[in-house]
Amino acid sequence: MSTVGRRAPAGAARETKERLAELVATASDGEVSAAEALATELPLSALGVTSLAQMRLIDAIEREFGVDVDFSDESLAALEDLDLLTAHITGRAR
Amino acid sequence: MTGEPLTGPLTEPLTWGQRAIWAAIERTAPDDRYFNFGRVLAVPRSIRQLGVADVRRAVGLLTDRHQALRTTIGPGPVQIVGESAEPVVGIVHAARGEEAAVAAELQARMESSAFDYRDERPLRVGVVICEGTVGHVVLVFCHMAADGLGAEIAVRDLRLLLLLRGTAGGPPPTQPAELARRQNSAEGLRLARAADEYWEREFSRIPVSMFPAQVAEPSGPPIWRALLTSRAAAMAAQRLAVLHGATTGAVLLAASAAMVGRVTGQELCAMLPIVGNRFRADTRNAVTTLSQEGLFVCDVTAERFDDLLRAARPAALRAYRHAYHDPAGRAAATARASAARGAEVQPYCCFNDMRFAEPPPRDWEPGEIHAALGSSTLTWPISQDRLNCRFCVHITGEGAGLGISVTADTRYLPKAGMESWLRGLEDLLVEAAARAAARKVHAG
Repeated sequence: MSTVGRRAPAGAARETKERLAELVATASDGEVSAAEALATELPLSALGVTSLAQMRLIDAIEREFGVDVDFSDESLAALEDLDLLTAHITGRAR
Repeated sequence: MTGEPLTGPLTEPLTWGQRAIWAAIERTAPDDRYFNFGRVLAVPRSIRQLGVADVRRAVGLLTDRHQALRTTIGPGPVQIVGESAEPVVGIVHAARGEEAAVAAELQARMESSAFDYRDERPLRVGVVICEGTVGHVVLVFCHMAADGLGAEIAVRDLRLLLLLRGTAGGPPPTQPAELARRQNSAEGLRLARAADEYWEREFSRIPVSMFPAQVAEPSGPPIWRALLTSRAAAMAAQRLAVLHGATTGAVLLAASAAMVGRVTGQELCAMLPIVGNRFRADTRNAVTTLSQEGLFVCDVTAERFDDLLRAARPAALRAYRHAYHDPAGRAAATARASAARGAEVQPYCCFNDMRFAEPPPRDWEPGEIHAALGSSTLTWPISQDRLNCRFCVHITGEGAGLGISVTADTRYLPKAGMESWLRGLEDLLVEAAARAAARKVHAG
């Protein structure tokens, strides 16, 4: 994923973020709930999203949003922050 | 003969995982029985009476469900999915109280000869009968059919089939023939190309080997294994995992790389972790052989463990992603990088976490961890003449502790260095766990 190409409407961004929070909950086997993922200001790993859960999350994002995660430092940092992740995805979705 | 059948047996190329194991088998033959592995299923007590016919029927349903368990290898090599067939079941009898020992002995016997990859089904089945009922089912897997996690899924399904006398529940997971098709699709080729680029890029900048030079003469056989069993290391890894939102596997990989840096003096450490490749929805529950080597490259100069883990996380994610790769593409990438550098690039430094599950998260107190140090033991269980690596770490669960072993070529890392590595790893984990401040971040 690279930087945001175009802005999505605010409502769409909110929906994307909420959906990402659900994917975090699934990928972490419920270790982190969707509500926790939405509410936190900490990096997601600090809540208990492990690298294994991040790998499942990447797979889910790629399948659901039709994007390729490129594993750059910037993309991997976005996995820690739902707002960054939302921006990446809404800027890139096909 | 009345004519050709409309469809022959299903034939597909090998999957990436199968190709990786096939190459290892070809390198190891005729000693390739080494790759066989067994599981013993103790029949649940709620099943009062179980006959051999019941087991045969359940195993038949299991192999109906998972094509890998009826797939043979043909010239090419290719995978050939066979029709369902009645399984052959070996039968032994045991007196009450001796069943487990007899089952273990049966397993060893069933593991002791290499599979006939072309003509033999890749699952051997045996039962132990005690007082007229089957008490244990022994399964021996060909590594072309399953890896450890794949076998766990098969055993779980067989248990359900025995209990429910019918169905293993849910649609079957992705079959290896289907996986091979996906790996050869446009999406698969894109993944393979990204992996090739990653391996070549990293092989262009890592040390040509983590253990590049012979530093000693061997005393006796050159290959030795040192095994540390440590409750303290297990507790420390659990505490660090909880406090840093990591798995104990990720903690141990990072700590192992840091210790390789310390004993070799290299600042950039490259390790080849064996990766399960079950992160994807289409591989997660597949009964097949998926494990492949990844490439973990990390700057290990950080002094604080949390800084080390921060560097290790993206390195581990990249290693995990590109462990799902075409072995032929990786070999070509390795050859290109080696030619460009004028030296064979090969880390000779691997890491295999053989545990099937993470221990439950637990935030042990530093005092408890320190107190457990007294029970650690270090032994030298294996020595042999040959190994195709120079430094191999294996992690196993040993009761409530960890088994951490190093199998090394003592010409490149003498026995004293192996012992320093293991003791140093335990110290590093215990000290980092003591320093890590407890953080209350989880709401509930």
